[in-house]
Amino acid sequence: MSELAKMKFYCDDQRCIECNSCSVACAEAHELPTGVSRRKVITLNEGIFGKEFSTSVACMHCTDAPCEQVCPVDCFYIREDGIVLHDKEICIGCGYCLYACPFGAPQFPRDGAFGTKGAMDKCTMCAGGPEETNSSAERELYGQNRIAEGKVPMCAAMCSTKALLVGDEQEISTIYRKRVASRGKGVQSAPYGWSEEYSKQ
Amino acid sequence: MKKYLFLFIASLFLTSAAFAADSQIWDAMRIQNILEYGQDESLKLGPLFTMLQANYFAQAFLAVLVGVPAVFLLHYLVIGPKVFSHDGKKVYTFSIFNRIVHQIAAISFMVLVPTGFIMIFGANFGGGDFVRMMKDLHGLATISFAIVVIPMFLMWIKDMFLHLDDIKWLMIVGGYLSKTKRPVPAGKFNAGQKTWYWLATLGGMIMILTGASMYFLDFNIAMINSLTGLSQIDLLRVAAILHAVVGLAVVALFFVHIYMSVFVIKGAIHSIITGYKEEEEVKYLHSSWYKKLKKDGKL
Ligand code: HEM
Ligand code: SF4
Ligand code: SF4
Repeated sequence: MSELAKMKFYCDDQRCIECNSCSVACAEAHELPTGVSRRKVITLNEGIFGKEFSTSVACMHCTDAPCEQVCPVDCFYIREDGIVLHDKEICIGCGYCLYACPFGAPQFPRDGAFGTKGAMDKCTMCAGGPEETNSSAERELYGQNRIAEGKVPMCAAMCSTKALLVGDEQEISTIYRKRVASRGKGVQSAPYGWSEEYSKQ
Repeated sequence: MKKYLFLFIASLFLTSAAFAADSQIWDAMRIQNILEYGQDESLKLGPLFTMLQANYFAQAFLAVLVGVPAVFLLHYLVIGPKVFSHDGKKVYTFSIFNRIVHQIAAISFMVLVPTGFIMIFGANFGGGDFVRMMKDLHGLATISFAIVVIPMFLMWIKDMFLHLDDIKWLMIVGGYLSKTKRPVPAGKFNAGQKTWYWLATLGGMIMILTGASMYFLDFNIAMINSLTGLSQIDLLRVAAILHAVVGLAVVALFFVHIYMSVFVIKGAIHSIITGYKEEEEVKYLHSSWYKKLKKDGKL
């Protein structure tokens, strides 16, 4: 990986078979409470022949992340490698990041006082949070830190068809182009969410 | 009146039952929510909210927070307060019911406004527990305000419709730009008070509804969804934008209201505590009402 690597997800909707492994693996790996699904498999154009496809969405770790721009307590920080993380100890659970997000990624467990929205939870690309790496505090709040251990994020590691990929955006683009070329048929449109995720580079 | 109040409060609390069930935001509706983002056929509310919140809202609130008091200070120094005799007769203006309703609203606002500002400038307070607590207080004060907003709306509405006096009042800005004491055209309430009344009650209801929808997230008034055709997430974006825009107006006039009652018209605040206004104050600042009271032999 180069110094300037920017980490991205990519879900190849030609390959995704809607098995939901990624979202189950994510929920289990990070011991997420019920009601929070950091990753979700969605099916679009359901029942329309030739147009139906499934894809897996989570936080896409946007370039110029909108969530980071609107947060009133500035609790987001963007790592050198482009992973968008936030500090749950600072977050006040106002919901603004959800309103700004193109992917509906931020979620709010109802664990605040009087059942108010608790601290926001979203996909960390398995990179934990601001607490000490691999500490129990980090694990408690954000789940595993697989990136620090040199492992691929859980969802992509689990994906049986390798539809869901994660890594340096240059490499991901190369794989994507190769796949399009080798399929060699039909008009291949950019995968879902591509423009929002990559456009503002 | 009781019936409406009950319906209103019930509708606020019943919706809380909705959030336990399937969330419209993260489950089935998630597809619709994200599909609409920035698409040509959508209202682009996501990017609009992001742009406004990232660049304008906090700045606008800061401008009101600094600008409005600065104008007052200048006004106070240049023109100064209006002083009326407190030794004369008194005019009974506000019933005990009026005063209790007003006081509950006033206390609620004294919590809502500072806690709102603390959330907006949350980063300066370091976020975390303190700002979270302010957010919870903001939510609690909403409940007491929601209880009195409809009684307040109904108890004063008959005095609050536009009158010819109001146009004249506005032309001379209520006489506040001159030092001389002259009878100012106004009934029981002047044009400034009327504006504040409508903003605090109708605007206040907008604040309650938009605030409640942000609180519950799944706050679902089927009628609004079907009327507007907006998805839940877009409704939340509208709510967040409205809460900030209407909030700006509410805050600005709230400051004006306090400045007038505490600083400009010396002792005016006593009227909402005791119920009595100074006769001289009524004679000058509410001259039409004064004439009417005279004619009716009520003085
Ligand atoms: C009539 C007065 C108002 C009412 C009834 C009201 C109500 C609410 C409610 C119920 C919430 C949701 C709280 C939560 O999520 O826990 C909220 C949020 C908020 N309000 Fe207000 N509010 C009022 C005035 C204001 C004013 C004057 C300001 C600004 C100075 C303000 C700023 C905010 C902010 C920044 C939020 C954060 C968004 C959020 O927490 O969801 N509000 N309001
Ligand atoms: S997908 Fe949403 S939460 Fe993730 S970086 Fe983009 S705007 Fe932020
Ligand atoms: S919910 Fe938390 S992370 Fe999201 S904008 Fe509000 S304070 Fe920031």
